[in-house]
Amino acid sequence: MIRRPLLAAGLAALAGCAGPKPVRDYTKLQSAQVRSILVVPPVSKAVDVNAPIWFLTAIPVPLAERGYYVFPVTLVKRVLEDDGLADAGMVHAADPARLASIFGADAVLYVTIERWDAQYILLDTTVTVAATYVLRDGRTGEALWRGGGYAMKNSGGGGGNGGLAQLVAQMVVSAVMKAAPDYMPLARTANAIAFQYPGMGFPAGPYHPQHGHDWAGVPPGVASVPAEKWEPASATTVVKREPPPEHEQQR
Amino acid sequence: MPARLARTAACLAALASAACVGSKPTIYQWNGYEQAIYEHEKAPQDREAYVASLWTVIQTCRQNGTRIPPGVQAEYGYALYEEGRAAESVPWFEAEAREWPESRLLMQKMVRNAQLRGAMQPAGPGTTGPAGAVGGKP
Repeated sequence: MIRRPLLAAGLAALAGCAGPKPVRDYTKLQSAQVRSILVVPPVSKAVDVNAPIWFLTAIPVPLAERGYYVFPVTLVKRVLEDDGLADAGMVHAADPARLASIFGADAVLYVTIERWDAQYILLDTTVTVAATYVLRDGRTGEALWRGGGYAMKNSGGGGGNGGLAQLVAQMVVSAVMKAAPDYMPLARTANAIAFQYPGMGFPAGPYHPQHGHDWAGVPPGVASVPAEKWEPASATTVVKREPPPEHEQQR
Repeated sequence: MPARLARTAACLAALASAACVGSKPTIYQWNGYEQAIYEHEKAPQDREAYVASLWTVIQTCRQNGTRIPPGVQAEYGYALYEEGRAAESVPWFEAEAREWPESRLLMQKMVRNAQLRGAMQPAGPGTTGPAGAVGGKP
């Protein structure tokens, strides 16, 4: 048995926020007084055709837990399809203000799946999920918040002195994962990081007990969250940390 | 054993995600809602199973006396609507609008849609069939 499946959850750098500022500028988001968020179906750079719709199902729970009303995602998807907007690319290209007015939403969340893939190198399987997010004002279409989430899981590899039994076990695991890698735990992690990370995610919304009293009120540059705290906390489970994907670093 | 390993890895991923964002208490009890909508998207043809699992989510909230999370009653209403039980879906859309005022505009549209479709259906509310056991009123 493999004793420690390597596992990593990286925190993606956020667009327009590459500097050392631990707390972002939430002025626009706060002045927009967002209560409700319409999540439209994601666009995807991944090969897997299932990625967008499966990823979508992992969004409402962590987002609503930030204290916002999140429109029912599968209902919204079907309504858009009925209105001739079955293609996510078309929805993303549409006027945010028009979309928001159809549903009565304060803001629209656009999700782009950047990574949703499994790589197989010898006995090693690495599954990666990464996404970027933009929240737009439902009246002006202006970007109110941008975020990124990244998670990867590495099976096999580590150890090396387990002998033939371990080798066989690794091959079995790799074969199983090759058949059907489970992306959903990683999708959940990516969303949780993007939405809930202090100083970078969504500030507590109107249904959150900390609404108006969390880190979002701190002006940018004033560190309420020390930079060292950004490190994913659990040393026992997170044994390997990867840099953010290339596209994140470039921004 | 591979299944066990996969489960272990999944657990660790969940732990890591919890560790990343701190061990904050959650606002809502979701009672398997995320899994229900995921299964629905994986197999949209299994409508009865979807209706049943959303019903479990709602019933568990009621039994525990917790607030039904945003969107759940609307999705349940829509699941009934998709099953051809338009008339039954109306009170669920109304419940969503009542408990979550942000949804009012959309829910009004859903109610109008359901009433139109209900009026066109010759049969009454679908209280028969395997899923007829669930459905209730909000």
